[in-house]
Amino acid sequence: METVSESKVVTPDFSTGPVETTPKPLPFKDPNFVHSGIGGAVAGKKNRTWKNLKQILASERALPWQLNDPSYFSIDAPPSFKPARKYSDISGLIANYTDPQSKLRFSTIEEFAYIRMLPSDVVTGYLALRKATSIVP
Amino acid sequence: MAAAANVYAFRDVRAVPDPVLEPPPAVRVPHPVPLVIDNGSFQARVGWACPGAEPDPRLLFRSVCARSRGAARGGGAQVGNDLGSLEPLRWLLRSPFDRNVPVNLELQELLLDYSFQRLGVASQGCVDHPVVLTEAVCNPLYSRQMMSELLFECYGIPKVSYGIDSLYSFYHNKRKNSISSGLIISSGYQCTHILPVLKGRLDAKNCKRINLGGSQAAAYLQRLLQLKYPGHLAAITLSRMEEILHEHSYIAEDYVEELQKWRSPEYYENNVHKMQLPFSSKLLGSTLTSEEKQERRQQQLRRLQELNARRREEKLQLDQERLDRLLFVQELLEDGQMDQFHKALVELNMDSPEELQSYIQKLSLSVEQTKQKILQAEVNIEVDVVDTKPETPDLEQLEQSLEDVENMNDFEPLFSEETPEVEKPVTTVQPMFNLAEYHQLFLGTERIRAPEIIFQPSLIGEEQAGIAETIQYVLDRYPKEIQEALVQNVFLTGGNVMYPGMKSRIEKELLEMRPFQSSFQVQVASNPVLDAWYGARDWALEHMNREEGWITRKDYEEKGGEYLKEHTASNIYIPIRVPKQTPRISEAQASSKAASISSPCEQV
Repeated sequence: METVSESKVVTPDFSTGPVETTPKPLPFKDPNFVHSGIGGAVAGKKNRTWKNLKQILASERALPWQLNDPSYFSIDAPPSFKPARKYSDISGLIANYTDPQSKLRFSTIEEFAYIRMLPSDVVTGYLALRKATSIVP
Repeated sequence: MAAAANVYAFRDVRAVPDPVLEPPPAVRVPHPVPLVIDNGSFQARVGWACPGAEPDPRLLFRSVCARSRGAARGGGAQVGNDLGSLEPLRWLLRSPFDRNVPVNLELQELLLDYSFQRLGVASQGCVDHPVVLTEAVCNPLYSRQMMSELLFECYGIPKVSYGIDSLYSFYHNKRKNSISSGLIISSGYQCTHILPVLKGRLDAKNCKRINLGGSQAAAYLQRLLQLKYPGHLAAITLSRMEEILHEHSYIAEDYVEELQKWRSPEYYENNVHKMQLPFSSKLLGSTLTSEEKQERRQQQLRRLQELNARRREEKLQLDQERLDRLLFVQELLEDGQMDQFHKALVELNMDSPEELQSYIQKLSLSVEQTKQKILQAEVNIEVDVVDTKPETPDLEQLEQSLEDVENMNDFEPLFSEETPEVEKPVTTVQPMFNLAEYHQLFLGTERIRAPEIIFQPSLIGEEQAGIAETIQYVLDRYPKEIQEALVQNVFLTGGNVMYPGMKSRIEKELLEMRPFQSSFQVQVASNPVLDAWYGARDWALEHMNREEGWITRKDYEEKGGEYLKEHTASNIYIPIRVPKQTPRISEAQASSKAASISSPCEQV
């Protein structure tokens, strides 16, 4: 039987008051409660995990929504129409230049010198921060 | 140390565990008052909605829990403020939330257990109070179904009301007007919402949500600083980032102009915040104090002495054995057994008894000497233990036996350091200053870059539009008169709007997007973090005895968990049934449960 792992000891000892040590049953709960979300109906023993938001939204999309109904995914803000300003990866100032070797943006000569001295993992880190890493096949 | 300008220390606050509180008797008499739970992805705020008492939430705790012992056993999970400092457990922390929606209801159950227990809910078999709970804007039906199931079936509450935290906050700050319209900008830990409210009701189909909030700003700041200071990777923790965001960051009114200001070195010097990381000076070898050096030397000397003593004993044993053998051979001679004696001599590689004799003498002498040395060394060790100061006599003695020692090479630098020891105290002073600076994080433009992501999500590569553009998008969906009405009442709420400069920035953005010479009003919530809870409490007190807005147990059973009763601060309900997933095993139990559901629960 799949009792929720937090739901406590079997003996219905309801007379205990506020609890200090954890494995004692809490009086205001039903000790036989089972979440229906855990595991789901798919294949019983497998899939014991909760659905994450992506999965929940995917199944929500399949429901019969009308055109103008507000739902969690219809509320997402649209992508931006304005072109993004380019800022230096190091200092955050307005960047007018990009290093062709590492693709990092910089605004002053000192930053360029600094960039050229960086180890490659730091360079990748800066690019990943901007989601500008190239995917290696 | 002289106080340097702009150096700040991290406070690194530890949470204090909440005690189990006694609720005032008014919560149960004449009938149970509602429990108000502001279920936030960052922090949960729980309290009573008691008329005339308790205007503040009793519990404020981080919505996280961590299993303490045994990974899958589920025993001893700690919640919220019981965890103390979050950093040592950072990888074990789990939250029921995925973005701003609770998806893991087991962990939600833990949080609710914690809240009910610490509030002092003492009813047996069920929680006897109505519950007011906050949910996400346009909460997925599945999630509401799970939540209702948890509340009704596990805790047995009589009725529940779901609402949106930003709307509660809006109504808390706007009591005078009876009919209110406005544009709510609610920025929380995980996302930022733009909510137009028309005539007291949320216009849900025109709401927009940007998936950026305080947590993304903290993560961005953390990675920026970790890339800038790769040596301090472990010290740059999320808790410290949150501290920096709360206390040292601000929003620039004009981002580009502010960046230009930061270019100048004087402005930088005056406005940089140097965060001092805790450090200990014992890390680098060159900064050992002279006492520590002495101690180290003594330890090494002691080790050496022990080693020497052991070697001497071994040597002694070997010599003793050899001596015994030779003596035995000599006895052979004395006894007159010439043949054996000569054979033994050949074995020993000696020619005559005289040689044997001299050899024996030499050996016994060296044995005596070794014994003497052992005794002396023992005495010296005792002397050494008694007083630690006179090192040099020990050194001189050991120098003799250094030929025996293998690790003499290690000691050469140590002994050569003796003479320059006088100079050392002078040179150790200088590294101390640089050490403090080495452990400082300089926050220059980072102070404005991290909070800026909600205005320019392209800073972290997000494709969504920022707040300003989204506001414009939302406003453009309305005719001009309604736009006017909405901008007359722009309301900022949520923890992430508490940066200094947020209000003026929003005003500037509105100025840019609104028609020439039109007016607008921006208002910030009086307490952006707690106003949602206060608003929910106001709603609960007003509607305690009314029907509207509450989902009763009967509604839950008839219409399913995803049912929502609309009210002024709630989502819009779309009547779609979500099929409930039941594990096959519990279907047999469901029939037995239905029989016991209607029985009233015991009261203390």
